[in-house]
Amino acid sequence: MTDAVTTTGTQVPLKGFVGEVLAGLSDAVTAVEQCDERRGMARIDPERVVEVAERMFALDGSRLATCTGLDVRDGIDVLYHWAIEPPGVVITLKALAAGPDLTLDSIANVLPAANWIEREMHDLLGANFRNHPDMRRLILDDSWPEGVHPLRKDFDQVRDRPPLPPVPPAPEQEGQV
Amino acid sequence: MKFLAIIGTYVAAGVGSLAIGMAAKWYDRKVTAMVQYRKGPPWYQPVADVLKLFYKETLMPSTARGTGFLIAPAVGLAAAVLAAAMLWAALLNPGVSFVGDLIVVVYLLVIPPLMTILGASASGNPHASLGASREMKLILSYELPLFLALLVGVIHGGWKLGLGDMATAQQAAGTALYSLSGILAMIVAILAMQAKLGQVPFDQAEAECEIMSGVYVEYSGPPLALILMGRAVLMATLPLLLIVTLWGGLEPTGLGWLAFVGKFVLLLTLVTLIRNTNPRLRIDQTVKFFWWGLAPLGVLAVVLAAAGW
Amino acid sequence: MGLKNWALRKSLWVYHANTGACNNCDIEVLDLLTPRFDVERFGMLLVGSPRHADVLAVTGVCTRQAQPRLQECYRQMAKPCIVLAIGSCANGQGIFAPAYHMGTPVDETIRAVDPNAIIMYVPGCPPKPEAMIAAVAKAWELIKTL
Repeated sequence: MTDAVTTTGTQVPLKGFVGEVLAGLSDAVTAVEQCDERRGMARIDPERVVEVAERMFALDGSRLATCTGLDVRDGIDVLYHWAIEPPGVVITLKALAAGPDLTLDSIANVLPAANWIEREMHDLLGANFRNHPDMRRLILDDSWPEGVHPLRKDFDQVRDRPPLPPVPPAPEQEGQV
Repeated sequence: MKFLAIIGTYVAAGVGSLAIGMAAKWYDRKVTAMVQYRKGPPWYQPVADVLKLFYKETLMPSTARGTGFLIAPAVGLAAAVLAAAMLWAALLNPGVSFVGDLIVVVYLLVIPPLMTILGASASGNPHASLGASREMKLILSYELPLFLALLVGVIHGGWKLGLGDMATAQQAAGTALYSLSGILAMIVAILAMQAKLGQVPFDQAEAECEIMSGVYVEYSGPPLALILMGRAVLMATLPLLLIVTLWGGLEPTGLGWLAFVGKFVLLLTLVTLIRNTNPRLRIDQTVKFFWWGLAPLGVLAVVLAAAGW
Repeated sequence: MGLKNWALRKSLWVYHANTGACNNCDIEVLDLLTPRFDVERFGMLLVGSPRHADVLAVTGVCTRQAQPRLQECYRQMAKPCIVLAIGSCANGQGIFAPAYHMGTPVDETIRAVDPNAIIMYVPGCPPKPEAMIAAVAKAWELIKTL
């Protein structure tokens, strides 16, 4: 087991099952932040997201639990949460989609479960995913303008709201007989 | 004078069938409530429903074809009332029925579902057209078994096609029901009646939770009230048809009237209990059930009846 | 007219519209049809089409997506009709008012198409079925004055 270096420079010893998994990904992992008995967090290289996803999915008993997105100063941090069932561990892999492009490779072609998750992240945070098979609007309503992403830190939920949808037009001749 | 008598009979049959139909609807809702450990609505509930609808406005969707949309409920009600008039006339006065009036009654009773299809197709709504296509498939399924069941009654009545003749022949020679073929025919007829009345398990056309009231989705106000009245008259008329053809009609004695009311209530109770204990079938399951289950049973009943059983 | 009001009071048909609720209020509305509360003895039925209904039971905050659709639903109801805004969310969007995906509250949404709409508010999160029956009883009193 080798020790790995966190982003703050302190050493995190890799031990246990989580340590084995993270050591197996050591060429793509840039920093390990946590390596406990049942929880692991590591940062991976944003260029190799698809390859890491394939390798994690090939592990016995592993499952993509969900993906989350965070609006950080440098861009959008996309977190992939992997649950590995018989040992009962959760490993989170973080990839930074750096601004101003905010683009990562889409893992939806490898894992169809990530399809809607990436659509949601695109709608609400503005993260772009290359080669996504079906990037349509998922969560925001039909009258929401393009390019406005409500869960960004610089969006004020009350002041920056787009105008509301208009009243549907009254039909010309629906009425009494 | 004769013209006035005809109109008078028609109006009297209409009012009478409506009254009986409202009572039958209340009975159905009350028995449903009792089966579900509830108190049901009060006795005037169906009347209140229809009255309330008459006072509401009629909305016609902009995609609807007005004439068909509005005429359909009225024609359906009129045909049901005419069939009721003929049946009551045959029941109370067997002499006035003519040869072949069974065919006329069966024909008239096809018109209300047909008008449902017309009104739904004229609604301009995809739910309604879905309901209309289901109603078409339903008609294609249950008409044949119903006719086979009625044929058993015809055979037991001595191969006569007049309602009055059938009733008197049964009273003389023995009710059609009390024989093997009669029992089979009655089973087939009750299930076909369930489908004709649009009750669960065969109410795919007006599937409330599924397609938002299907065929009737665009109706409101007085046309909807006419639809409800038409269904009430059907509910009062179909058990009558079954009693006249398969269960011996009406003997004009006091005990005969009591037996008649008992038979009527028993048929309504059966319809309600079947309705409360079964889920709604899919339309393809219904078609298969009627064509591969009930139609062979009906053919068997006809063969047994012709053989004398 | 006496007969019209009597018939409307005795036979209120309800169309249930969920404009973005957590489904708690919807469960309580469905509770009303169970044997314990049994509103069918008052003649109330749940119908499948807004055109058949007299009461529009609205649950949920009115989200942006639901706003024009709720207005269409109200337009399709045959008048006279009553709107029942059920739950804190329908009454005034509650704690969700500052969120980005809110439309106007239910009563403003409906008054935008019909300024004279009759709207009854049933507070609670979710309101007890008894509270909803109390609202219906007040609706009967209101109908007598129509």
